Amino acid sequence: MSPGRIRALIILAVLVLWEALPRSGLVPVLFLPPLSLTLAVLAADWPTFAAALGVTLSEVAVALVFAVGGGLLTGALVGGLAGPRRLLLPVFSSLYAVPLVVLYPVMTAWFGIGAESKIAFASVYGFFPTMLATAAGIRTIDPQLLLTARSMGATPAQRLLLVILPAAIPTVLSGLRLGGALVIVGVVVAEMLIASAGIGYLVTFARTVLDSPRVFAGVLLVLLIAIGFDLAMRWVERRCALWSTAGRPQSAPAAAVPT
Amino acid sequence: MQPLAELNRDAAPAPRGMIEVSGLNHAYATRQGPVQALENVALTVGQGRFTVIVGPSGCGKSSLLMMLAGLRAASAGQILCAGRPITAPDPDRVGVVFQEANLFPWLTALDNVAFPLTLRRAPKAERQARARAMLELVGLGDAATRYPHELSGGMKQRVSIARGLVQDPPVLLLDEPFAALDEQTRMAMGEELLRIWAATRKTVVFVTHSLTEAVYLADEVLVMSARPGRIIDRMPVPLPRPRSYEMMASAEFGRLRDRIWQQIKAPAR
Ligand SMILES: Nc1ncnc2c1ncn2[C@@H]1O[C@H](COP(=O)(O)OP(=O)(O)OP(=O)(O)O)[C@@H](O)[C@H]1O
Ligand SMILES: [Mg+2]
Repeated sequence: MSPGRIRALIILAVLVLWEALPRSGLVPVLFLPPLSLTLAVLAADWPTFAAALGVTLSEVAVALVFAVGGGLLTGALVGGLAGPRRLLLPVFSSLYAVPLVVLYPVMTAWFGIGAESKIAFASVYGFFPTMLATAAGIRTIDPQLLLTARSMGATPAQRLLLVILPAAIPTVLSGLRLGGALVIVGVVVAEMLIASAGIGYLVTFARTVLDSPRVFAGVLLVLLIAIGFDLAMRWVERRCALWSTAGRPQSAPAAAVPT
Repeated sequence: MQPLAELNRDAAPAPRGMIEVSGLNHAYATRQGPVQALENVALTVGQGRFTVIVGPSGCGKSSLLMMLAGLRAASAGQILCAGRPITAPDPDRVGVVFQEANLFPWLTALDNVAFPLTLRRAPKAERQARARAMLELVGLGDAATRYPHELSGGMKQRVSIARGLVQDPPVLLLDEPFAALDEQTRMAMGEELLRIWAATRKTVVFVTHSLTEAVYLADEVLVMSARPGRIIDRMPVPLPRPRSYEMMASAEFGRLRDRIWQQIKAPAR
């Protein structure tokens, strides 16, 4: 059996268990409401869920722009120039290990409990891995490739655009994947902590009133966002990094995800 | 991209040699102080000649080639190519091939060969036509759409040579281009290079560690001393062309090879 079919079977099994376990009484419905019930709640109260999904998605989208844009730019600077690298890289590397979630209350004090504080927190959260990956990607470029480009008369701008950037793409993409995932985590976690809208808020609110079908309906939506992001990343990876699949060994940043 | 005729008109006024080096000295600044790499190097390579440089490891062969390519400035001395000084890389005059093929892994063989033309913003049709012609020349016409990781070591180095030739420079510099290849491929590539050279009549400067390769390929072998690198022998190779595998067994070949070996094994200090 192909791995793809095994995967499909596992997912199917999980869905079946989700329905069967609570129905058979093996698991209390309060702990795990059946899939059908969860979907029914989702459908019945769709306007509420759709509004929350819209809030969360827009926060994720804006935070992605900040995290990815800032991460790529700073990473390119830090990776490409020795001065900023010596100055900033040690600081960034140690900051990376700090559980940034402690900053979130501060951010709500600064930006209020609306979308701004979520965006700010998730942007910072996703910024670090993207930045570090980009810096690593640019620093690990084979200097021989740059020498070769120089021997062919490439200007500094051409070396950046036609050699450094394409060579950095595989590492940068793995950073984007990690950074993007952290942005989603950051937004949802922030919504669950202090918020007035969004899926995370909905889940926390439903939990406090022990409305588990709504909790799971929210979880399902977060799952969908994550899957959607994964599909988008795969599409980007397929388009950008044809060569990296069988080319040189990739140097992905071997950093653990901080929580 | 200049047409061929114009390049040749450029090259014609070179009075004596296509490459003329005089009084070349170079010292690297290191933490332990200056390291003298080249000492008073002078050489002349006539147009269309195949010159091979040999010498002990670390004697400055790569440094010399980098300077000929305009990739590194010498501490002192002068380098003329086609009658004009070399101060920066000039792909119109000099093509370079390194020990590693250094192909861009994200580009196909064709796009790698066309890369120097891309840098000059040549029209796409012209880029492709030139690159395709060069791939044909090195015997890789059917590998145009392959990526570097789909090519063998020998094929990669052929692509690299094609790329060095794509702007039709009068001079081709090669720094141990076949050193990373196995013996068989290496022999085949030597033959291949001679064929390409005969077809294009480039002026070639070729660095190698293999004495056999040196004698087999060269019109003239320049022998360098251990560091600081000086040229201690200029040995013409009077073997007829085209060279053949059988010549390697001849007494003449052995004598020439031995003459190099005697100077390299006991470097004059
Ligand atoms: N960037 C550098 N900085 C300092 N010293 C250098 C540098 N590049 C080369 N050298 C020194 O200069 C000397 C000549 O180096 P070079 O690479 O030109 O030798 P080579 O003849 O090509 O050696 P090989 O046959 O091993 O390739 C060596 O002693 C080397 O250590
Ligand atoms: Mg060398």
